Amino acid sequence: MTGGVGPLATAGRELTGPETSLLARLEGILGGDGLRTGHLGRATYRRDASFLNADPLAVALPRTVEQTAQVLRACRDHGIPFTPRAAGTGLAGGATPTGEAGVRPVVVSVARMDRLRQLDVPNRRAWVEPGLVNARLGKAAATHGLRFAPDPASQIAATLGGNVATNAGGIHVLTYGVMSQHVLAVELMDADGVVHVLDGARAEQAGLDLRGVTVGGEGTLGIVVGACLRLLPSPPAVGTLLAGFPSLDAAAAAVGALVVSDRLPDAVELMDARAVSLVEGYAQAGYPQDAAAVLLLEYEGLPAGVDAGVVTADHLAREHGATSVVRADGPDQRARIWKGRKAVAGAIAKRAPDFYLQDVVVPRSRLGEMLDAVVAIGERERLEILTVVHAGDGNLHPFVLFDRREEGMIDRVFAAGHDIVATALSLDGTVTGEHGVGIEKRDFLGEVFDADDLAVQRAVRDAIEPSGLANPDKVLPTTVGCGEARMVPEGAWV
Amino acid sequence: MGVNATSYLEPTGTDEVVDAVTRTRGRAGTLEIRGAGSVLDRLPAGEAPVLSTARLTGIVDHAPADLTVTVRAGTRLDELRERLAEHGQECPIEPIGEHGATVGGRLATALAGPRQLGAGRVRDWLLRVRFVTGAGTPATAGGVTVKDVTGFDLCRLLTGSWGTLGVITEATLKLRPIPAHRAWYASDTPRHDVASQLYRPAAVVSTTERTHVLFEDHPDDAGAQAAAADLSPAEPPALPASARAVVDPARLAALRADLAELDLTVAIHDQLGLCHLDGQADALAAARAAAERHGGALLVLDPSAGLPAFGRGHAPTALAGRVSAALDPDDVLAPWRWQR
Ligand SMILES: Cc1cc2nc3c(=O)[nH]c(=O)nc-3n(C[C@H](O)[C@H](O)[C@H](O)COP(=O)(O)OP(=O)(O)OC[C@H]3O[C@@H](n4cnc5c(N)ncnc54)[C@H](O)[C@@H]3O)c2cc1C
Repeated sequence: MTGGVGPLATAGRELTGPETSLLARLEGILGGDGLRTGHLGRATYRRDASFLNADPLAVALPRTVEQTAQVLRACRDHGIPFTPRAAGTGLAGGATPTGEAGVRPVVVSVARMDRLRQLDVPNRRAWVEPGLVNARLGKAAATHGLRFAPDPASQIAATLGGNVATNAGGIHVLTYGVMSQHVLAVELMDADGVVHVLDGARAEQAGLDLRGVTVGGEGTLGIVVGACLRLLPSPPAVGTLLAGFPSLDAAAAAVGALVVSDRLPDAVELMDARAVSLVEGYAQAGYPQDAAAVLLLEYEGLPAGVDAGVVTADHLAREHGATSVVRADGPDQRARIWKGRKAVAGAIAKRAPDFYLQDVVVPRSRLGEMLDAVVAIGERERLEILTVVHAGDGNLHPFVLFDRREEGMIDRVFAAGHDIVATALSLDGTVTGEHGVGIEKRDFLGEVFDADDLAVQRAVRDAIEPSGLANPDKVLPTTVGCGEARMVPEGAWV
Repeated sequence: MGVNATSYLEPTGTDEVVDAVTRTRGRAGTLEIRGAGSVLDRLPAGEAPVLSTARLTGIVDHAPADLTVTVRAGTRLDELRERLAEHGQECPIEPIGEHGATVGGRLATALAGPRQLGAGRVRDWLLRVRFVTGAGTPATAGGVTVKDVTGFDLCRLLTGSWGTLGVITEATLKLRPIPAHRAWYASDTPRHDVASQLYRPAAVVSTTERTHVLFEDHPDDAGAQAAAADLSPAEPPALPASARAVVDPARLAALRADLAELDLTVAIHDQLGLCHLDGQADALAAARAAAERHGGALLVLDPSAGLPAFGRGHAPTALAGRVSAALDPDDVLAPWRWQR
């Protein structure tokens, strides 16, 4: 859906002089096919998978690093900000093109730069372009007996560049760690179009770990145009368990026991009864329908260790009241068990016109309290909330199911979201475990950090990205500690 | 170095660190931050006033059920290890050498220990850091939960900052259960390819005599892997300590060949691309040249060698310079780092 350049194409708003001249220059760089300026072409890029949306000036879809550099230099020359974007599965409004009053950023999508540049099997690493979809790397690695550990539930759509930019998590974080642990090097393009290679494959960094800061930079530090990612050997043995519990508390207590057992499981996922019944109709995962909560557990590695882990987990689960414990009898059943977990969002989309997905973390020992609080919040706001949890990490994802056409609904949804975040904070947790701050959680940062902490963060951001043009307005609050944290920041629509 | 330093500060809390840094900044001075000296004593001696973390000690909070521990920066790793072991837990950041090391110093230098192969890097075990910047600003980054993307990841930035940027005063570390079984094995001859035949060994170190492998697995799995790769039970390897060369693992074979030409004692972490070296100054200088030729770096940890500790391979980038300037605008904290 490509629109022509000019005032008519950006229906509803006159273009300023710099905007007109920028669009002409961008069209010269990208051609008609690589630039979207029309109303419809822009509409799909108003938001990511969150509710927050804003109108971009245009959408640039460069095919190469060189084109990306030219796009950024054009933006810089016209003083117009840009919003990096990949698959748009982000949930914090990070890719929502908000700008300061009246300024519309250009969305720069990296989706067309999606090659696996090099799969270095002997050294177990891959050089990728940012638009490569996470699951595609996994597939390519698997043919060599290797795997890419970070596995966000969105991995069939989300890109590796997006995963780097958000420091994504996933299901196997407990022992494998978050994205950052799997990023060896980042190629970061600054607002002048210059590429900085940050860190590399060496076992000991030379100088400062700027790679580490860039991972999770949410597009505010520049554009990730390439990355070197660590691959691991695929585990020779895997043990997957599905356990049903009579209450959320019992399941949470079992998680607590598993986390302090002598062998950490590689994955511990919890789903509440609503989630269990919803996915069953959609994915036929074989979850126990009478359970108030289920745990999905996985042990990976060598056979004796995996078996020992499974035996311990079976025992601990039953000791904490599990009414059923099933071990997957092979790869098919294992795939089915995980399919249920990964199908939650899909199943919800079939069931309710809208969903709002939260992301909070608490120390693992507070998981039971947090789960109870979510139930209470749902009851108070008269909302249907189902919760899935990366339980081994204390990372909860309550989904609020709703229909935004209902009068007053959005307000209740956001009130619930606000309360969930506030509760996590009161339990020594934090406002986001893996989805990021973006714009949605930005105004909560003043409740997590004090003015000095934020000033230091700001100083680092400005040092790395002095132009201020890269995804302005995101991550760091503009005025510290001023007023109540809002779920819908200024400049964004829901 | 602390001994001949012109002054020696021992703050007991964050306020005193802020005060020390602010005063030093006010008179355009510099500071060298000192933990136990396990690394600093092996760098060329300096004259700068020392800010010691010797009185910033103690475990603030160990939450076994959360697998986290919060500890002040001057706490010894040995002490921490003992306390955690009482609960069957560990943070697999190992001391380097036998000098003892502090948590803060270990984070600041972020040198790789043998178990980095299996346990990951030092930087991956840090959840929250409290520090005082070179501008005298006290700050916290990260949080006590094991997953946290709230704000920019300054934990990684402070790890390996080598006493520049900020004074680390407190760290919250991620823990794990102590592996139930741990055993070293070795081959009869050096076998640099053995690592790639094993499933996730905890450490692999080759000397000129043999290749040593550490398994931290179920004993049956360790035994089976050892048998398949023809390894026998062995003592852990001794690691030379005068210098360490690091290259991209893809260049390791080439570096190894170059080092073999020199009069050096060498132990190599095969998959990590890290070589521990002992030898005379001229051999170390030649090893440094070789490492740099292969795109790597060599760190000398022996002041008697008379070589600079850091080499060309450590030269900071312009971007790193900007970040340093942002947190330490008046070059208070070891501004000479990476230059001598
Ligand atoms: C159903 C569902 C399930 C999910 N499950 C998980 C999960 O389990 N774990 C998890 O961590 N997340 C999860 N997410 C969130 C999301 O998938 C991740 O945040 C993902 O990493 C975003 O990737 P993306 O390619 O879609 O990036 P986008 O949404 O396009 O962008 C995300 C952010 O990164 C920035 N960005 C994107 N690309 C670049 C680049 N190349 N350079 C610089 N900045 C860039 C954007 O500006 C934005 O701030 C889920 C989302 C959905 C919808």
